[in-house]
Amino acid sequence: MNYLTRRVLATVGVLWGVSIAVFALIHLVPGDPVRLALGTRFDQGTYDALRAESGLDRPLVSQYFHWLGNAVTGDLGVSFRSEDPVADVIAERLPATVSLAVAAIVVALLISVPLGLASALRPRSILDRAATLVSQFGISVPDFWLGILAILILAGSLGWFPAGGYVPLTEDPLRWLRHLVLPALTVGVVSGAVLTRFVRAAALEVLSEDHVRTARAKGLSEAVVIRRHVLRNTAVPVLTVIGIQLAYLLSGVVVVEIVFSWNGLGQLALQSVQARDYPVLQGAVLLFAAVFLVVNLVVDLLYAWLDPRISLT
Amino acid sequence: MVLVGLAALTGCGEGLNAVDKGPTPFVAAISGEPDQLDPHKTTAYASFQVLENVYDTLVVPKPDGSGYDPQLAESWTTADDGRSWTFQLRRGVKFASGEEFDAGDVVYSLKRIIDEKLSNAFRLEPITDVVAVDSHTVRIDLAQPTPYLLAELGGFKGTAILPEGAADRLNLARETDGTGPFRVARDTAAGITLLPNENYWGDGPHVSSLEFRFVSEPTTALVALQTGEIDWTDNLPPSQLKKLADDDHVTLGQVPSVDYWYLATNFERKPFDDERVREAINYGLDREAIAEAAQPNAAKPIQTAIPEGLYGHTDYAPITRDVAKARSLLADAGHPRVSLGLMVTSEYPETVQVAQVIASNLHEVGIDVRVEVEEFATWLDRESKGDFDSFLLGWIGNADPFDFYQSQHSCDGANNYQKYCDPETDELLKRAATEPDPAAREDLYDQVARRIVDAESYLYLYNPQVVQGWSPEVTGYEIRPDRAVNFENVRFG
Repeated sequence: MNYLTRRVLATVGVLWGVSIAVFALIHLVPGDPVRLALGTRFDQGTYDALRAESGLDRPLVSQYFHWLGNAVTGDLGVSFRSEDPVADVIAERLPATVSLAVAAIVVALLISVPLGLASALRPRSILDRAATLVSQFGISVPDFWLGILAILILAGSLGWFPAGGYVPLTEDPLRWLRHLVLPALTVGVVSGAVLTRFVRAAALEVLSEDHVRTARAKGLSEAVVIRRHVLRNTAVPVLTVIGIQLAYLLSGVVVVEIVFSWNGLGQLALQSVQARDYPVLQGAVLLFAAVFLVVNLVVDLLYAWLDPRISLT
Repeated sequence: MVLVGLAALTGCGEGLNAVDKGPTPFVAAISGEPDQLDPHKTTAYASFQVLENVYDTLVVPKPDGSGYDPQLAESWTTADDGRSWTFQLRRGVKFASGEEFDAGDVVYSLKRIIDEKLSNAFRLEPITDVVAVDSHTVRIDLAQPTPYLLAELGGFKGTAILPEGAADRLNLARETDGTGPFRVARDTAAGITLLPNENYWGDGPHVSSLEFRFVSEPTTALVALQTGEIDWTDNLPPSQLKKLADDDHVTLGQVPSVDYWYLATNFERKPFDDERVREAINYGLDREAIAEAAQPNAAKPIQTAIPEGLYGHTDYAPITRDVAKARSLLADAGHPRVSLGLMVTSEYPETVQVAQVIASNLHEVGIDVRVEVEEFATWLDRESKGDFDSFLLGWIGNADPFDFYQSQHSCDGANNYQKYCDPETDELLKRAATEPDPAAREDLYDQVARRIVDAESYLYLYNPQVVQGWSPEVTGYEIRPDRAVNFENVRFG
């Protein structure tokens, strides 16, 4: 078996394990979805009818295999709350989360690559110290606080951007972008602060390596050295961090999504937990697990392409 | 580089936004997202905020909560024995789909709720049959006289009238077909857009469209209202209310609600089965401070359930805070120090603050309160299992004394989680439920109310205000004590 096949099989195995763990854990949490759906007033007949309809009256193991059987064929069940197919519910939220995650990573890279490289090239300079301070700030402040600050100043006092809400790209690209800016900045600044440190550390390490010294000794210009030798090799460790950040962002930045009423997967997951909407929650967690596994796989494959010394066979 | 991009974006954004606004769409920000739009199935307040504008019921609560106005029923009569009511239906009404409204639709809708045991079936429990007498007359037969029938039929949109067979043709969780001023045009994760119902029988609506956006963070909603992105919200930060009264960008609306918030102790747990211990708790509470913690400058301390001015209000407030009396009651009961678990839910953050005030109040009388903050699902679970010393919650949007007392304080009541059971109260409740004479009925409920207060079945705490904010350009909006949100008559300017 080649590497790719092995990795894909392992991924499926891990997903199956996750599905068992998730199913067990969700059902262990106290709280009855039927009671929640019926509110504070109901009669027993109504309760029993709804419970039977949702299949919650069957033994847990039988519920699990029923769910797994359907899930394998792509049927993730129907939401307890909205009665919509889980796959549709998730698909509806996906574009919001993907656009926020990608935009945030772009912002993070725009901040961290120049800042981290500049710091590494002039260690202990004023610029380096300033960059360290800024990234320390970004790492320490909670993202919701940054978000509320952005809303009060950039949306409230200055009126440059809408305070919250999501407009689909397909509906109106310009309004989509205007709504995207504040949440993307908020998430991007925090991610960028983390990334700056990694870029700086990785670049410092590469700069001290023999091939860089050789390149400089050959009389190559500094710009060429940085572009050909430093950037590319710095990318390898940084890529891992970007991968982890992206996977984290794709599984929903719950707090930022709530502050900006950005209706993505993070909000969906939170609402599903609160409503004990088991089918949606299971589907969402499974998706999050899959995203992490796939991102990891892609990062590993990119390694080999970027650094021929790493072999994956 | 990022900043340059920003400037360009905002520059062109402003201009486009102005064009975008179109004629006059009305944008309302609500704090939650509707779970689904089937009025007979949902129990979520967020859903009813939308559905209020889409569906009609036979009758509708008067804006001040003092009784019922005609809606799809123009008039009604009650048989002499009280066991059947006959409703004359409005003529010339059409659903948004164009279908004529008639008696068949009423029969279909009410029977759907009863036969399929949908979430509002408990409201229609006394109904034995719904009969179409002719195309515009409906008779409702009852197992016993039901003087509170109008409250159950029209208290809110959970008993909305759908066109006959609607559930077979439409996905009612997502699609609507009502006789109200609006119809749902688009329902996405970003919001719900409603358009005017062209066939509406009333004279509204007066805006080109109505859009609901879901904004759970109050600060975001407030900034959006101040900057004109939205026109209305009920999600304002409580701490800002004083300041908002002087804000030119916001019209602040406040009216006393029909909700009550209360504390209940578990009658089946020692030492709370001892009336003296419950009474000590009651004498230990500082209701003024509690109300202030719940809603600064707005909530009103109460000792009975039904707000002043409503049918069934009982003027009875026997308790003034008395620490010495509370201490001596505990000593008499043989429990000079009591430990009390107080269950509250993060679903209603103000209850968490209230619980802290209660804890400090009761500490002074020798009761050590453990505040247990639970997520709502867990909270409900523990409530229904009786796994608590005491809990704090509210009862929202009532219409008739029956709704205020029956299921909470009768021995086998569905919501009697505190397990209060008193044969005399039960007897009074039974008689009151079927008493046709309003004055005699009110007197029975008055006795019930006093017994509940004296036995501490519920310790009523405060009655909050409904607080909403809207743009000063908006006219025709009426804030209501039952929290129903109706945009039929709103206009700009």
